[in-house]
Amino acid sequence: MKPITNVLLGTAMFASLVGCATAPRVYESELDRTPLTTRIEPQDIRRTVEKMAESLISDAGVLDATKGERPVLDIEPMKNRSQMIVDMQSITDSVRMRLLRSRLFRFVDRSTSGADIAIMDEQAQLGLTDPRKAIRGGKQTAAQMYLTGSLTEMSTHVGRITDRYYKFTMILKDLRSGEIVWTDEQEIRKVANRPMF
Amino acid sequence: MKTINMLLAVVLAGAVLAGCRTTAGTSVVMNHETGGSVIYEGNTRLHNALAVTAVTYDKVPAGLNRVNFQLTSLIQRSQHVQYRISWYNAEGMEIDADTRTYKPLNLQGLDSVTVSGVANSPAAVTSRLRVREWRAAR
Repeated sequence: MKPITNVLLGTAMFASLVGCATAPRVYESELDRTPLTTRIEPQDIRRTVEKMAESLISDAGVLDATKGERPVLDIEPMKNRSQMIVDMQSITDSVRMRLLRSRLFRFVDRSTSGADIAIMDEQAQLGLTDPRKAIRGGKQTAAQMYLTGSLTEMSTHVGRITDRYYKFTMILKDLRSGEIVWTDEQEIRKVANRPMF
Repeated sequence: MKTINMLLAVVLAGAVLAGCRTTAGTSVVMNHETGGSVIYEGNTRLHNALAVTAVTYDKVPAGLNRVNFQLTSLIQRSQHVQYRISWYNAEGMEIDADTRTYKPLNLQGLDSVTVSGVANSPAAVTSRLRVREWRAAR
């Protein structure tokens, strides 16, 4: 009986482990999950955006530079000085979204200027728009400052250990004076220990 | 019989370990209008390892609320937790819920760390700190 019992138990365990694995298990993960790799991951971007936006909102120097008025900002794409492929535009887009929703800043967007001109030309030339209501060029707000920054990386490999350090740096520069009004950085460090087997 | 007992022990141990992973943590709600704060602790293990020892608040130059929570480790070894600070308006609705992130926090033995958050809207009047164990974030 004993060998038969052991065989039955082993079969039951094997069946319970294997029988459920009929398809890849896919589930919605939360946005701030634990890291999977030493590379930049979505939760690192989200934390960086939150920190930069909070730092900019809290800084007294920005208000001093604009004499308490809501400054008009633009975005200059951040430079990627790391070895990773990272969508830097996405980071600045998220920072802009956070700052706009705080209602403390105003933004212009040079990347859509071509579309602005095309729409104004249509309004002026197609004859469909009431000329008194058509939007004419030369009246848009000008940016007073712009946000930019960079991402740098330092990697160390020793045996089975991989150590990666990243630094996001952002600056806010005043176009009128050329001064840097605000700057901050976010440091991220990840270590991975490759298993022996 | 010995084999069966061993197998049962393995299954039970697995069940116990799986049950130890809980996402409940410690929450602190701070009302910036009244100055009052309330602490909710939903995880016994975290309650024995971490304490919220101080809550202070002020306003940044732009007029938005800022809050600081001091966390103190009650154990001698280092621990890894995650925390998030979210903001609510006067009606109790969370403001920009999707933009608030969990951030990692490494506490050395018996050390104190202050974490702070700034509201992202003038309508924010209540802040809430949530701390969870690192292993809960999957």
